[in-house]
Amino acid sequence: MPVRHAVLGLLAQRPRHGYELRAAFEAVVGGEENWDVKPAQIYTTLDRLEKSGLVAEESVGQDAGPEKRIYAITPAGLETLREWFADGIASEHQHDEFFIKLMVGLVSGAADPYQLIQTQRTHLYQELHAITTQRSRADPKKELAKILLLDKAGMYLEADLRWLDMTEARLDEIKRQPLPQPEAKPRGRPRKI
Amino acid sequence: MSLIHTENLTKVYGKGETAVVALDHVNMSVNPSECVAVMGPSGCGKSTLLHLLGGLDRPTEGRVMIDGSSLSTLSDNALTQIRRRKIGFVFQFFNLIPILSSVDNAALPLILDGKNSAQSRQKATEWLQKVGLSERLGNRPDQLSAGQQQRVAIARALITDPMLVLADEPTGNLDSRASDEIAALLQQVAKEWGRAVLMVTHDPRIAAYADRIVFLKDGKVVNETRLEAKNDRNREIVAGELRALAS
Repeated sequence: MPVRHAVLGLLAQRPRHGYELRAAFEAVVGGEENWDVKPAQIYTTLDRLEKSGLVAEESVGQDAGPEKRIYAITPAGLETLREWFADGIASEHQHDEFFIKLMVGLVSGAADPYQLIQTQRTHLYQELHAITTQRSRADPKKELAKILLLDKAGMYLEADLRWLDMTEARLDEIKRQPLPQPEAKPRGRPRKI
Repeated sequence: MSLIHTENLTKVYGKGETAVVALDHVNMSVNPSECVAVMGPSGCGKSTLLHLLGGLDRPTEGRVMIDGSSLSTLSDNALTQIRRRKIGFVFQFFNLIPILSSVDNAALPLILDGKNSAQSRQKATEWLQKVGLSERLGNRPDQLSAGQQQRVAIARALITDPMLVLADEPTGNLDSRASDEIAALLQQVAKEWGRAVLMVTHDPRIAAYADRIVFLKDGKVVNETRLEAKNDRNREIVAGELRALAS
């Protein structure tokens, strides 16, 4: 749960109220266009964290208007945060729609697999070009979050493109060595020699 | 009008049964201010194409047209002139002279062509400044990082004011950070300085800097991809990628 831990981390910096937390989160990820978290999600998260004893509420009266709820991290919260920083995070593998398209094309014979690969390659190269262009325009001093995400997006695309090359090479291999056909078994009793 | 184009460019090595077709009727072109990447698996004919475009080898069939003249009808002498003055070369291993400073390395094509030494070195200095090496003018190659060495090589390629720059795996010997910088510089060579740039690469990251990618396979052009999507779509693509990553 990245939002949960991000909230803990921001509260470890200093106690904040919900609105402040959301603004801090947005600043950390480099803008809501990168990662949009709704206020409701922040409040639900705070509520859950409070029930688990990881944050505690400090009510502070204001001179005028309703009182603000300020949240602070508890020792248990600090421990959870420490564990999060100490552990690695499993990479996420999502179902790849192109993979299933390719396999369906291969098995059904309804599409030329080389054409599928080329179409996909064109698409990915256009995406990578767009990412590359954006990255060269971004300012590393002011837009670090954006640049890091663009680097990552570019590297994912690079990996996908390399995988397409490898897939094409594997198809070539199969083509040069036809799939072995099952041998026709002799029927009946073996002949006496 | 394209600056360089090929007409049914074919190269066959060997004869009879052992003949190998390295290039098979390739038609392609590069325009001024355009950066084109050539990609394909090893043995697809990338290097052969580059050699033929650079006049380093002669085709079996078909021809290369540079700025209106056919390379195949030229005498060896005239071909050398074109190679020296109209084409700049950038290589994977930089090919700098170890005992020469950046300025002397970059000035070399002019000096070999019999130009005035002081003027040549002045021009070399200007190009080295343009490629971001103002601080490294007097350094020898062994005092430069790999990325800086490739910058010197690019300055050397540009010093004769060539119309075409041919780059053979220009980032093949660089780490990814320096690769990006060199690819961006080659893009600048095309966009800002108006040269036609053709680079052979197998690195998707580098090819993505180009305006167009030509895919070769078994000596044939199997696909051409224009990379610049409309501006709106570019923004959409990037926003989509970032959202997908972050959430």
